[in-house]
Amino acid sequence: MQLINDKKNGKPVGRALATATCALLGVQATTTLAKDQPGEWDVETALLIYSETDDRVQAAEPVISATRNFDGDKKLNLKLVADTLTGASPSGATPSDLPQTFTRPSGSGSYTVDAGEAPLDDSFKDTRVAVSGSWTAPLNRDYTYSVGAYGSREYDYLSTAVNGSLSRYLNNKNTTLTGGLSLGVDIVDPVGGAPVGLSRMALRDNKIEAEFDQEFAATRESDDTKTLVDALFGVTQVINRRTLMQFNYGVSYSSGYLTDPYKILSVIDESAGANYGGNLIGADGNPVYLYENRPDTRMKHSLYWQTKYMLDNGDVMDGSYRFMIDDWGITSHTIDLKYRWRLANSYLEPHFRYYMQSEADFYQRYLTESEYNSGTPTVSEASADYRLGELTGMTFGAKWGYRLDEDRELAIRAEYMIQSNDGDEGFGKLTSHDLYPDTNAMWLQLSYNF
Amino acid sequence: MTSITIAPADNPAKHPQPQLEGSGRNWQGRFKAMASPCEILMEGVSRAQAEEALRYAARETWRLEHKFSRYVEGNPVDRINRSHGKPVVVDDELSLMLDYAAQCFELSDRRFDITSGVLRRAWRFDGSDRLPEKSDTDNLLRLVGWNKLNWQRPTLTLPEGMEIDFGGIGKEYAVDRIVLDLNRSLPKGTSLLVNFGGDLACNGARTNGQAWVVGVEDHKKLSDSTETLSLRGGALATSGDSRRYLVKDGVRYGHILDPRTGWPVPEAPHSVTVAAPTCTLAGMLATFAMLQGSEAEEFLQQQQVQYWVQRS
Repeated sequence: MQLINDKKNGKPVGRALATATCALLGVQATTTLAKDQPGEWDVETALLIYSETDDRVQAAEPVISATRNFDGDKKLNLKLVADTLTGASPSGATPSDLPQTFTRPSGSGSYTVDAGEAPLDDSFKDTRVAVSGSWTAPLNRDYTYSVGAYGSREYDYLSTAVNGSLSRYLNNKNTTLTGGLSLGVDIVDPVGGAPVGLSRMALRDNKIEAEFDQEFAATRESDDTKTLVDALFGVTQVINRRTLMQFNYGVSYSSGYLTDPYKILSVIDESAGANYGGNLIGADGNPVYLYENRPDTRMKHSLYWQTKYMLDNGDVMDGSYRFMIDDWGITSHTIDLKYRWRLANSYLEPHFRYYMQSEADFYQRYLTESEYNSGTPTVSEASADYRLGELTGMTFGAKWGYRLDEDRELAIRAEYMIQSNDGDEGFGKLTSHDLYPDTNAMWLQLSYNF
Repeated sequence: MTSITIAPADNPAKHPQPQLEGSGRNWQGRFKAMASPCEILMEGVSRAQAEEALRYAARETWRLEHKFSRYVEGNPVDRINRSHGKPVVVDDELSLMLDYAAQCFELSDRRFDITSGVLRRAWRFDGSDRLPEKSDTDNLLRLVGWNKLNWQRPTLTLPEGMEIDFGGIGKEYAVDRIVLDLNRSLPKGTSLLVNFGGDLACNGARTNGQAWVVGVEDHKKLSDSTETLSLRGGALATSGDSRRYLVKDGVRYGHILDPRTGWPVPEAPHSVTVAAPTCTLAGMLATFAMLQGSEAEEFLQQQQVQYWVQRS
């Protein structure tokens, strides 16, 4: 309760009365109750371990989030996340029946991928630290606002954002309308500079170092920025004592450098002969790989619908569906189902998620010799990043949570994801390679809230 | 359902014995006190613990009822009301209550007054049109006013003819007392909700982390409390005049009397429900709001609490 002077008699009533009441009851102002009470920090800690199969990305992510409650439903939340990623990720190049040598993103050094192996860039290693803070408070009985800021840093990436939202309560708080806006600016500063889109990757073989250096430098431009604007409109509706429903519509617009500076495409030989379907060999005697290039704007729309239903026995069913469409030509559908099974002092929550996406208009598993057009590509945008391709993912998991007491909860979550890509199988020699290997990954998360 | 036996000495008003229902770790105790159904909901306790808690709650509530009621002959309130202007020494518990009454009198700008009960001699809220004479209420006003008595802890001197009445505090105080005491005596992790006729408090969310769902009475449909609220902590209390009023020449006179005029507060809401950390505070804020009449909502808005006001 905030101390506000009653206009009529000029006396602060609420706080003085609260103090008097505490004296009567012989309690401290904050001793009455537990969570969400003013003057206490509620802390959530978690450690997430993510691991893709086949020596691909491994990540460890500790998170600490603390919320401080103040009088009058005001809240401050601070969150710190650290990520450590190691391992290799698909570079975008196609496998080949010959060993392939690629230049590292920094330009210093090369790595070789064995014949028939999926080209993975093993120089992938990163540490990210993200901090965010938000402040939520009621404006009056019917409105609540929230403002926040976000910043994260990786060695080649700096991300910043500010956001705000306003919620309006209607029908005795049975309906909540929320509008939110987020503005972000990211600075991309890739190791060795950002490559020029669709320029040819410089390779060392058959060259002296100075020649290579000159070629490499010609493919570089300086760091770049991207801006992001996100707007969200949501309705949360209490249907009855057991059912809660939420609808969101979000629109997101990003512009600037949206390309992944570490992703490349192979150029495939179309000429009839022994190398039909193999890597195109350039004038320097090396295969031709191009750095990818994406459009410099992207507009996304998403619709989200969630329903939570509580059963007689206290179990909770939670289902959601998300539809996303963007002007890159990607549409996606996500279905997420959870069932919280209430046990004595704990709960068990099985989880299933299904994800399906169509490919971006400019997604290509490889470029052909004619599209490469001897260095003057006939396409202005192309990417072989599997995340922009046609893919289907299924996640199975479960969470077990144990309530130590009214304030403290310990939980463990384990999930397994199977994701498969699909698309054009190529021609000639390419058809003997698996162009779309599955990605299997598992998560393990341990969390403790107090 | 099990009856809990409480010795007659601890049950001076001869209420029926408390009843315990439930199974496993979830138990509901019920008894009557202070003219209300009383309910104790407990989660995460054994049957034996629930029985012990219910026994304690009923005995303590009945003790408070017996001590603070103005209808019990020979209790401390009765001794004060029959003291004929002589000083009376009171115990610590009653002293705290009197200190609180003094602060509420000040903070409400003399609207909340535990000596205003004598005005009821002039007012009968029976739905009729029989208003008292202004001269009658003016005469009674001479016996009203916390500032007319002398309270020097632990001694109270009440002028002849005046009376005190804790009706506006007692029930909410009892709810908080029971929650605080049981929260201390029951094992950590117990979830508890105490509901005395709609004035209620809990010690946090339910054991499954969900909110308690409680009904709020709508004065227009007295039998059916359809509106529900979720409570994860703290308390709710209601002040209202559901059935008690007079109507004359089309004007409705509610039973909330302004001790400064001796007449009902004009344009007082039918009921005010407030959410606050304790039931006593919620109840007092609701009462203060009623006493603000047409400005009840504005007053509550300024206190920045959740509230529900019903007007016809």
